[in-house]
Amino acid sequence: MNIEKGKISGQQLLFLIAGFVHGSALLIDFTVGITEHQTWMVILAGLIITVPVILSYVVLAKRFPEMNLVQINDMVYGRFLGKVISIYYIFFFLMTLSFNIRDVGELYITFLMQDTPFIFFLIVFTATVSYAVAKGIEVLARVSHLFVVTGLFAIISTFILLIDQMDFSNFLPLFELPFIKIFQGIHIVSAIPFGETVVFLMIMGCLNNTEHAVKKTFLGLMIGVVSLLIVAIRNTAVLGGIQTIWTSTSFQSIRLINIGTVLTRMDFLIGIAQTILIFLKCSIFFYVSVTAISQLFGLKSYLPLVLPLAGIEVIVAATVFQSPVDHATITQNAGIIYSVPLIFIFPPLSLLIAKIRGLPKPERGKGT
Amino acid sequence: MILLLLIYAYILIANVPGLIKRKEWKELIVFSIFYVIAFGLGIMYVLGIPVPSPMKGLQHLIVDILGIEYPQG
Amino acid sequence: MIKKNSFLIIKLIICFSMCISLSGCSGAREINDLEIVIGMGVDKDKDTGDILLTAQVVKKDAAVGGAGNGGGGGGDGKSFWNVSSNGKSIFDAVRQITHKTGNRLFISHNQVVIFGNDIAEEGLQEYIDFFLRAHEMRPTTMILIAEKKASEVLDAKPETEKYPAMNIAKLVETSGFTSHFFEVNMKDFASCMMSGTTASLAPSVSIVQEKDNKDIYVAGMVVFKNGKMVGKMNHDEVRGLLWVLGKVKSGVIIVPSPNKQGKAILEIVKAKSKVKPEMKDGRIVMNISIKEESSLSEQTTTENLATDKALEKLQEASAEVIRQEIMAAFNKSRELKADIFGFGEMIHKKYHKEWKTIEDKWDEIYQTIELKIEVDSKIIKTDLLKKPVSPIKKEK
Repeated sequence: MNIEKGKISGQQLLFLIAGFVHGSALLIDFTVGITEHQTWMVILAGLIITVPVILSYVVLAKRFPEMNLVQINDMVYGRFLGKVISIYYIFFFLMTLSFNIRDVGELYITFLMQDTPFIFFLIVFTATVSYAVAKGIEVLARVSHLFVVTGLFAIISTFILLIDQMDFSNFLPLFELPFIKIFQGIHIVSAIPFGETVVFLMIMGCLNNTEHAVKKTFLGLMIGVVSLLIVAIRNTAVLGGIQTIWTSTSFQSIRLINIGTVLTRMDFLIGIAQTILIFLKCSIFFYVSVTAISQLFGLKSYLPLVLPLAGIEVIVAATVFQSPVDHATITQNAGIIYSVPLIFIFPPLSLLIAKIRGLPKPERGKGT
Repeated sequence: MILLLLIYAYILIANVPGLIKRKEWKELIVFSIFYVIAFGLGIMYVLGIPVPSPMKGLQHLIVDILGIEYPQG
Repeated sequence: MIKKNSFLIIKLIICFSMCISLSGCSGAREINDLEIVIGMGVDKDKDTGDILLTAQVVKKDAAVGGAGNGGGGGGDGKSFWNVSSNGKSIFDAVRQITHKTGNRLFISHNQVVIFGNDIAEEGLQEYIDFFLRAHEMRPTTMILIAEKKASEVLDAKPETEKYPAMNIAKLVETSGFTSHFFEVNMKDFASCMMSGTTASLAPSVSIVQEKDNKDIYVAGMVVFKNGKMVGKMNHDEVRGLLWVLGKVKSGVIIVPSPNKQGKAILEIVKAKSKVKPEMKDGRIVMNISIKEESSLSEQTTTENLATDKALEKLQEASAEVIRQEIMAAFNKSRELKADIFGFGEMIHKKYHKEWKTIEDKWDEIYQTIELKIEVDSKIIKTDLLKKPVSPIKKEK
């Protein structure tokens, strides 16, 4: 029944999740505009809210070993409804993938290479991602170690380099903003980056050993959260009141590194680290999309779908929003609302239904 | 434009012969569906025809019709 | 087998050619095509209301040829070029410079931005957006205000430096030695402007004519309120502000010697400050405590000041000087109705509920703030002399 013949170990899952969450480090800029200096609180609150949900994903995956999300949906909701829900998920995967690809493009045209046409970045990036996906999940899992280490190195070193420019009184006053803004902030943080880990429901079917899955997932999540917190704290401490006006706060704080007139102009460093991590994130999303679609249609392998989907994604990424402003507005409103059912409602519901119906039914030849 | 045609020709060449040889008809059908969609979108983009954006539609649905929205500003 | 190999070779060739042709970006600009800008000045053209932008550009031959070129080459002697242009806005003026030069300006190495007096009076809010938004500008660029026109300041050729802009940048960086003014960069200025109540400052540069040479002189700092220039502060007042902000690095304090026959000159070695805002019954009291260490660097009297009693008196006297500088700064800020110390933000951080009610009336409330200043001044060394040079008095 498996599309993917490869297996990943628990530790690789850990690093995949860590890199995935860290890849959203630049995406917390969506919340900074809303929650200003309370962003770190919002991240912690989002974590607390989503941890039980994410644990339900892992328990669900453990209950249905070696099955991915589409198969689980089919079993739990019946063939018709299950397929409808899977299509909803696939829509979510494809859309979010296009947002992330677009993010990379926006990063480059705003900060690093301004004169190059936008579509170039999309094509090159998507081509690399599709190559990675065609190689399979094992390859992705193996390189995730390296990516996570690179990313951590980048943010920790920039944090240390900026320590003398930090002013921790920027975090006061502590509870200033109206609750609706905090709520929106928490909603955004729970949906992106934490909620997007729902994609791992497609990948956990490939675990070769589900024993310690809960522990590993949790650990991976923690590493990711720590990275996000370091970024949020660094930005608030360094920039203080003005952090809401920049398109990307991380870039701006890194520009301020000025030590001994030698260590200046480091913004390329964060550009590289961020590109690598978004690459990991996009590869995972793309992999999940192709496997989900192949599973839905009952295909034997997902390989032929990789390139057409890549083509679709490039064009969608290029046209779905008009500008970064559009991207930000829509993500802060509609984007997180339509993903709420997928992240918060369906998996725990599946778990509940599975428990009630006693799924999966033990088949002959397989133990309980 | 030429780049587009080249890329799509490559996609076709890389995938179709393998599929036909292995007689994987279902895969071929699904592949063709997506290939046509991708090609169509690509042509629209290159020719400058505005491609409808799914998120705009979703935004309309959620904000205008269902009225769920966070206060701006 | 052969077919497989040849396919492999084709793939390798494609990869290799992609590496060569695709690396790089279409936004690449060669050094020959750049005009490297190291200083910018913004003035207002009275007649047309346009902005006069002056950009100080490095002359490449002079930069490369350097000291070796001695007698050869043109006798011009200037290694920079101040090119100026008019425009309706700063970005417009930047692009209009291409009417005069063949290359676009490359602003990434810009050290200073100098605003002319007229622009400062009108208000910097309109002009500062470009410097924050442009991708090439660094937020660590320094801001200065010219006493009259920015283009004149950029013209003043320094004696020991090649470029006026670098000279100005170094001038500001060494401000720590006197602590009579301090460095303000784009980011600090923007932070002050974002805060509704804090007033921002920028060093003020003027031209001093000495014989044939025009020299640059920093006379003090300019105070801005909501981006508009409202007044100036002189050296002592600025140092008063720096005492409170804890940014004094070094400087000179002159106190009369205990026997009133001369002066003792102290060099500030270290200074720290702590400010605690307090709200009591609707009155705001700022508790400022300054800890300062200095060394006796010079004395003009023959009295031996290196005794405990004399040092104590000197310490008291220097504490008094510091107190007076702080009060001078505070009084000036009250006169200009500008919260240069950032007291508003401190109250905001500590008492944010009350802050909501008093934020709008901050201007009036600022006048009623009480300062409680405590100075702890220590003289920790007397440099190389134990006793002053003077004949030993015979006991009578």
